[in-house]
Amino acid sequence: MTSLMENLGRMAVLVGALASTHAYAQDTIRIGAPFELSGRFVAYGAQGKRGVEMAVDIYGGKIGNKKIEVLYRDVQSNNQAAVTAFTELTQQEKVDFVIGPIASGIVAASVPAWRQTKPLWIVPGSSSTQLEDAMKGEPLFFHTYPWAYQYHEGAAKSLADAMGKGKKVAIVYSDGAYGREQLPWAKEFYTKNGFTIVATELVREGSADLNPVLQRIRQTRPDVLVGIVQTTDGIQLAKQIHVAKLNIPVLVGTAYPQLQEWSQATGEAADGWIGVTTYLPGMKRAADPKLAKLFPSLTDWEVDFKKRYNREPEFLDVTNYTSMMMLLVAIERAGSTDKEKVAKEFTKLDIQTMLGSSNFAPTPGGALHQAFNDMVVFQRVGEKFVVLYPPDAADGKLQLKK
Amino acid sequence: MSLLLQCLVDAILLGGLYSLMAIGLSLGFGVTRIINFAHGEMIMFGAYGAYFASILLGVDPLLSLPVVAVLVAAASALLFKGLIEKVLDAPHINQILLLFGIGLVLQNVAAILWTGDARSVSTPYALTAFEFDTLLVPHGRVIAFVTAAILIVALFCWLHFSELGRATRAVAENGQAATLMGINVSRMYMISFGINAALGSATGAISAFLLTVTPFMGFHMLVKAFAIVVLGGLGSVPGTILGAFALAFAETWVSYYVPDGSGWAEGVSFVVLLCVLIIRPKGILGQAVAVH
Repeated sequence: MTSLMENLGRMAVLVGALASTHAYAQDTIRIGAPFELSGRFVAYGAQGKRGVEMAVDIYGGKIGNKKIEVLYRDVQSNNQAAVTAFTELTQQEKVDFVIGPIASGIVAASVPAWRQTKPLWIVPGSSSTQLEDAMKGEPLFFHTYPWAYQYHEGAAKSLADAMGKGKKVAIVYSDGAYGREQLPWAKEFYTKNGFTIVATELVREGSADLNPVLQRIRQTRPDVLVGIVQTTDGIQLAKQIHVAKLNIPVLVGTAYPQLQEWSQATGEAADGWIGVTTYLPGMKRAADPKLAKLFPSLTDWEVDFKKRYNREPEFLDVTNYTSMMMLLVAIERAGSTDKEKVAKEFTKLDIQTMLGSSNFAPTPGGALHQAFNDMVVFQRVGEKFVVLYPPDAADGKLQLKK
Repeated sequence: MSLLLQCLVDAILLGGLYSLMAIGLSLGFGVTRIINFAHGEMIMFGAYGAYFASILLGVDPLLSLPVVAVLVAAASALLFKGLIEKVLDAPHINQILLLFGIGLVLQNVAAILWTGDARSVSTPYALTAFEFDTLLVPHGRVIAFVTAAILIVALFCWLHFSELGRATRAVAENGQAATLMGINVSRMYMISFGINAALGSATGAISAFLLTVTPFMGFHMLVKAFAIVVLGGLGSVPGTILGAFALAFAETWVSYYVPDGSGWAEGVSFVVLLCVLIIRPKGILGQAVAVH
């Protein structure tokens, strides 16, 4: 009898707890945020979290009378942990909106978990075209970061404009997915723009010595060297190129030449490198005329960011802030937390953000919603960034390395 | 011809770094019969020590190296006393799990304390080179090679000419006999583990200007050091040096002369390791290790 009473009591507590959870869930808008908060991509995850936090804070923490609750999960820069975190968010917490993760491999690992319940998913990272292919035709997938080919499309075009045709290009690419996937795109766009590819050299990720590769490249006497590697290898590459005195007039990276960690680690070897991005510190972009509080001018936003975090913002801080803020606006405009309705509002957004226009458009690879395609090609000159491309934003000319 | 010469120079310079990276691991195993799977993290802590000494105090990594090595050695000796000594007689799997666990904890502590940002010290000599016609000899790598050579010679001298060093060799040869000769085996274990860590952190201090420093750099180095130690022969310090140079030559040669060789170099090195182990299972100069 006691046992029966105890069991009934436990059930009552359970039902009560479930009921209160349900009521709580109705009063809140829950957004899953699986980020790389530890492990090798922790720098990405930290920026993701800062951007999301700042967006929620500026939005006021509420939409209507519903509290915004962001469920952060650490995917540990690990594929399996990403699957676990994603599954937990979508199947146990039953979130309908997810933002993150960021690193290409981690995002790719999350795709099967996403397919289980298909929440509205914003990916403010991953340039992998494999992801673009995997998410072909998916109406609830929103990508707010450039695809791999956009890096090389912009860089090749701007260099062709500045250097003329018939120049020679050598490409160094890493043996991970990052390098291997981008290599065909780099080859395609540089060839299309009149360059001749004279060398493609594979390097191992984390290699202690890149000199063999550089000595082989020296023999081909290229005019341009393109380094398709991650930041860690980008540091090693820049330093060893500097030591080897290869006398290559133009050195091009992907996203890493804009990173503070890269320039601090490479020292004087960073000078003259060219990079591609959607955001540069100090760029001029006006506030949105209607939503200036949420999407202020880039200068004002940078001031606010520095006040909050006592550091310069990086491009993923801006990307994640913008992506999250757009989601919050779309939820409010939908007047509902129904993911289909929110997705519809999301696609209709026409906001002037710190990364350019928020308009989503389909991609050549078949993804339905891609925003922020305005690539900026820049060169590091001393401590400054000189914008080379697009022409209307350019504030200097290409300087050849001596 | 010039490429061949460059290949030889690069291989020799890389071999010096590899020797220092692996020699502590070999010595530690020779004495304690425990493979220090947290060795990579000791390298990583050495690298961060030299990095912060340079950034915060303006001290060159080569000058901070002795201090960093002593600090890491002291901390590792405490770690040995507090945790590792307790599993000396435990099954190997327990020892491996404990040391891997310690490595993971240290890695994540570093990530929490210093974030995952990649760092490197840009000393003037890290970005310059001697040039002899087309031959290029980077100053940083020469300095790293000379430093490694000095430390390895110092280790040899200590092992052969000091009382503690001779006691270390005695323990490595036969622990029970050493006990009967009045050597405090437990103390020698702690000292050799500390020296293992000191040499690892010295590698880290050199890596601070030569390579990229991250909390996760250690695992890659551990794998390489482990391969070298196995190739040279577990527990043999001269064998480790031979193994390091063999691996450096194999990797560099493949990188220079095989298309896309730099990407394959590590794989080829492990094929060399496999071949050596098939022909000579105890490594080039290794001791036979009893399986209990």
